[in-house]
Amino acid sequence: MRYLKPSSVEEAADLLESSQGMILAGGTDLCVYMAEGVVDPEALIDIGDLDAMRGIQAAKSDHGDVIRIGACTTIAEIATSEALPTCLRQGAQAVGSPQIRNLGTIGGNVCNASPCGDTLAPLLTLDARFVLRSSGGTRTVESGDFFTGPKQTVLGPGEILEFIEIPAASCARASAFRMIGNRKGQAISQVNAAVSLTIADGRMSDIRVAVGSVAPIPLRLTKLEGVLDGQPIDDVSLAAIREPVLEGIRPIDDVRSTATYRQEVTVSLVFDAWAECVGRASGEGECR
Amino acid sequence: MAVIGKQTRKVDGLELITGQAKFTGDYRFPGMVYGAVKRAGVPAGRLTGVDAEAARAIQGVVDVLTAADIPGPNLIGVLPPFDQPLLAANEIRYAGESVALVIAETAEEARRAADAVSVSIEPYEPILTMDQALAPDARKIHETGNVTLSKKLIKGEIEPAFETADVIVEGTFETSFQEHAYLEPETVCAVPGRRFTLYASCQSPFHIRGHVAANLNAPASSVKVIQASTGGSFGGKDDVATEIGSLACIAAQRLNRPVMIAHERKESIIGSNLRHAARIRIKTGAMSDGKIVARQIHVLLDGGAYASESPFVTMKTLIHAAGPYRIENVAVESTSVYTNKTYCGAFRGFGVPQVTFASESQIDELAEKLGIDRLEIRRINGLRAGDPNATGQVYDQSVGLLETIEEIAKQPAGSEQTTDDRYVYGTGYASVAQGISNGAEGVDVTGASVQMSQDGSVLVGIGLTELGQGSRTVYALIAAEVLGVDVDSVSVRLVDTDAVHDSGPTVASRSTTVGGMAVHKAATEVRTSLVSMAALMFKTDQENIELRDGFAILKMDDSARIPIREVATAAYWTGFPVMNLAFSKAPDANFDDETHQGNVYIAYNYGTHRMDVRVDRRTGEVDVLNHFAAHDVGRVINPLGLEGQVEGASLMGFGLAHMERIRYADGIIQNANFADYAVPSIKDRIPTTTIAVEDPNPTGPFGAKGAGEPPVAAAAAVFANAIADAVGVRFTRLPITREDILDAVRGRDDG
Amino acid sequence: MMIRFHCNGKPVQVDVEPNARVIDLLREDLGLTGTKEGCGRGECGACTILLDGKPVNACLLLVGKIVDREIVTIEGIAGEDGSLHPIQEAFLDTGAVQCGFCTPGMVLSAKALLDENGTPAVEAVEEALSGNLCRCTGYGKIVEGVLEASRRLTEGQDRGGG
Repeated sequence: MRYLKPSSVEEAADLLESSQGMILAGGTDLCVYMAEGVVDPEALIDIGDLDAMRGIQAAKSDHGDVIRIGACTTIAEIATSEALPTCLRQGAQAVGSPQIRNLGTIGGNVCNASPCGDTLAPLLTLDARFVLRSSGGTRTVESGDFFTGPKQTVLGPGEILEFIEIPAASCARASAFRMIGNRKGQAISQVNAAVSLTIADGRMSDIRVAVGSVAPIPLRLTKLEGVLDGQPIDDVSLAAIREPVLEGIRPIDDVRSTATYRQEVTVSLVFDAWAECVGRASGEGECR
Repeated sequence: MAVIGKQTRKVDGLELITGQAKFTGDYRFPGMVYGAVKRAGVPAGRLTGVDAEAARAIQGVVDVLTAADIPGPNLIGVLPPFDQPLLAANEIRYAGESVALVIAETAEEARRAADAVSVSIEPYEPILTMDQALAPDARKIHETGNVTLSKKLIKGEIEPAFETADVIVEGTFETSFQEHAYLEPETVCAVPGRRFTLYASCQSPFHIRGHVAANLNAPASSVKVIQASTGGSFGGKDDVATEIGSLACIAAQRLNRPVMIAHERKESIIGSNLRHAARIRIKTGAMSDGKIVARQIHVLLDGGAYASESPFVTMKTLIHAAGPYRIENVAVESTSVYTNKTYCGAFRGFGVPQVTFASESQIDELAEKLGIDRLEIRRINGLRAGDPNATGQVYDQSVGLLETIEEIAKQPAGSEQTTDDRYVYGTGYASVAQGISNGAEGVDVTGASVQMSQDGSVLVGIGLTELGQGSRTVYALIAAEVLGVDVDSVSVRLVDTDAVHDSGPTVASRSTTVGGMAVHKAATEVRTSLVSMAALMFKTDQENIELRDGFAILKMDDSARIPIREVATAAYWTGFPVMNLAFSKAPDANFDDETHQGNVYIAYNYGTHRMDVRVDRRTGEVDVLNHFAAHDVGRVINPLGLEGQVEGASLMGFGLAHMERIRYADGIIQNANFADYAVPSIKDRIPTTTIAVEDPNPTGPFGAKGAGEPPVAAAAAVFANAIADAVGVRFTRLPITREDILDAVRGRDDG
Repeated sequence: MMIRFHCNGKPVQVDVEPNARVIDLLREDLGLTGTKEGCGRGECGACTILLDGKPVNACLLLVGKIVDREIVTIEGIAGEDGSLHPIQEAFLDTGAVQCGFCTPGMVLSAKALLDENGTPAVEAVEEALSGNLCRCTGYGKIVEGVLEASRRLTEGQDRGGG
């Protein structure tokens, strides 16, 4: 197995195209797959040290003002960045353990595309866009279009996730994340949920709700969003959101939980995340 | 007491805290090669062929062994029937069964080559439940059938007693398989030579020595087992250590090279014993004043593919199922059965957690039915000194159950409860008794040596193992107390089968009690020499001498003192023996084999727990707000060690009760890793407060009784009772997961 | 391939494959066996080391990633004179060590925490150690050990053995 350390993302894309290699970012998922014998790549292309792919900063994109997150920014940096919306920080904080968060990257969490990835639902509610690099150039994919199945994405064979862009408008909304796992520490989500919204004059708008581990891919709950849009916050209750939440999800029984439990808990987590948003929303947004 | 009862640092802590301690996997020898086994991968079938051609072609592979390559009988087991092969020869009885051993230059090459071994198995329809195993026309997993052992306990006559009872409660309770999950996976390293040296992460080195020698077809004296630092065991490093220890020695003999076999985590779960799953039918009859008049209990234990310690666990459940109560009429039947799953054996608590959950759940049901306070019903029925227990054994002292109940009764009430209807609160109680020593499971002998050097330092040797539980510290404290020296001047040697005496297995909470007695006895002999010498030096009688603070002191004149080291030097040159090898033999168990009436254990540890919980009605999440664990330990030797045992065992019981479940699908374990098998993390810890009751035990050193196991059972049972109190629903299966709790909450709300 | 990095304050140069795991480099090539392997999947924390001061799983870290970086293992935290680090002393005094297999990783996670936050609350201790499993202690005495170490470090004095 060759170990390649490109000095730029362009070189990484060229190496990926010209080899049978795999991209190595933090390695917290890939090393497990290699140890399990699930993958045995001909080469590892280590992009973890590429400064251009690290960090969180304000930028201008074709779509306007954004917060740009380098794909190799560690989960720990995401979890502690004051520049990022609450739900994304909370989601990052829920990933694995401190050790995993210090190595793992947000790009890795996204590209691994596990339905239970804790940054995915937050990114969906923030209308994040993923900038993909290949030797032919870049293209931008909406987070809602990126995931196609468990551990499957639209990433082409020679493509690398270079940046994650969060529209400034998303940062102006209040947001929150909740998860539940099979234990309290170092848990894999049985269900996770993120909510992002704006409140003006006691009414909600710009609502995004996304959930993980309850379908083959992280899902937006558009039905629920429609039900809540424009409503006064006082009208929201557990009972009121129950049907629209359940209609949107397709949980299964597996080694980590049961479909029934996931259904019930999704309702609760969405409600709690919503309640936290409302508790904090003052129209000023969250990015500092 | 000079040192007994004082908070003492672990005497072997320094090397552990610095990372210098050598665990088996830390040894390196020139020319060392690594072994990995190929496992069957199917739960049942006939092995028709092993093709290792592809494996042998892999770079680094030096040897592949199958059953035909075992010089000896190719059998292991903790006790008769020895029914487990090192490598399967014909029958495949569980999916984790070892079929071939691959030896290679590196561990990774061995692992890869083991995967490349191809096995041909004609599969049978696997027997995956106890009901399937016990069906009249069931395929026999072993020639002897599918029942490993079935025994009865009969005290009094239950039928007339049930007829007179004012109330009767009946129920069936179930528990799941539990994994030991010690942090260090099983590891051995065999070094060949004129004699074999086996370094092992293990619990009972002499037991391993016997099996290794038998399977090598060599005398026991040709094998030396050294217990390396061992990263936890909890009952789990017996059978499996004999299995891989024997395999490593056989390979080392063939190759004349050192061989290391280290299990991966997955193998540690699927290829070594688990705690028995159990189904317990229990019926209790009582009078309206709360007095229990009869109990009838049927225990079924799923022992998996091999006997391992199933016979002993069967006996333990038989004797403990009726609980720590004075009941005149008891009938218990305990049966362990074979199934095509990972074999089950010893695991801290040894069957007592399973039956205690059933028994204590039903005690609460009885209290509710009778309208009697839950602690009061335990008070009414709890064993006192002089009461015959379920086997009719009477202790005239060290029966501290009632004191543990009173200690629990006087703990402060739980913290303030919110009025938020999202949460419900509950409090549970549970009592336990757990026999100390091998008892019904066999003869109980321990040998220990104590020697004092001329400089006054002390070396203790014993064949019982330190596994993290702090037994070395206990032995050091006992020797220091007897010899009047500082605990820091006592060393406890590693267990090396060449250098210490066979002390039996490190099991059954017997280290402190039985092992401690042997150390006490040996130290007392050395003390006699020192006192004799000091008397000569002071020109006085022996009764005027005491040993204290590192001096021989004249009792009538505290200033007249001679340093122990000078006494030791003089004793040596005078010819007084300053070394002694002593044996401690617990009184033999003596009971009727048909009824199990008689004297079984040298003592029992008694305990009562209280747990306060808060349950989230929306998610089933549980917060343990308080946990009080009171145990009659006879005498506290080291409070720090005792608390560590009670806290650790309690969290293990909590895991059994709430979080941990081995999940099978078609005979294959689905969650053989730490992501999906949920061992409690630090965020899941429970706030255990240890309360020691000291009712001295005449059969233990300074009155001490073991305490390592009993909290597991009590903590599991108290959790179930606390959750039942909070939710208002009786749970009959462990673990009681968040899913179960939420189901119950919703069922109750809907109803 | 020749790899250079710092280990326990000293420069190290070693010829090793960059796709090897750091846990194997430490244990096999450098003889630093205090770093333990409990699962090999980043799920138990026994192999925790510090990489530029932050705790990471050495079983998930490839050698190619530590070039020119600073690693600290359990062998590197005692004083030059062999005196124990205050966290080590506190762990022994509070009974935080039983079998000792998780201990090196626990101590390093605790050190990373206390280096960053000298007076952590209980919740912060739990968060910092949430990637380190222990099956012996029930964790209570480990939390006590970290809090005791925090007190001793902030008092600027180590009372030593007990």
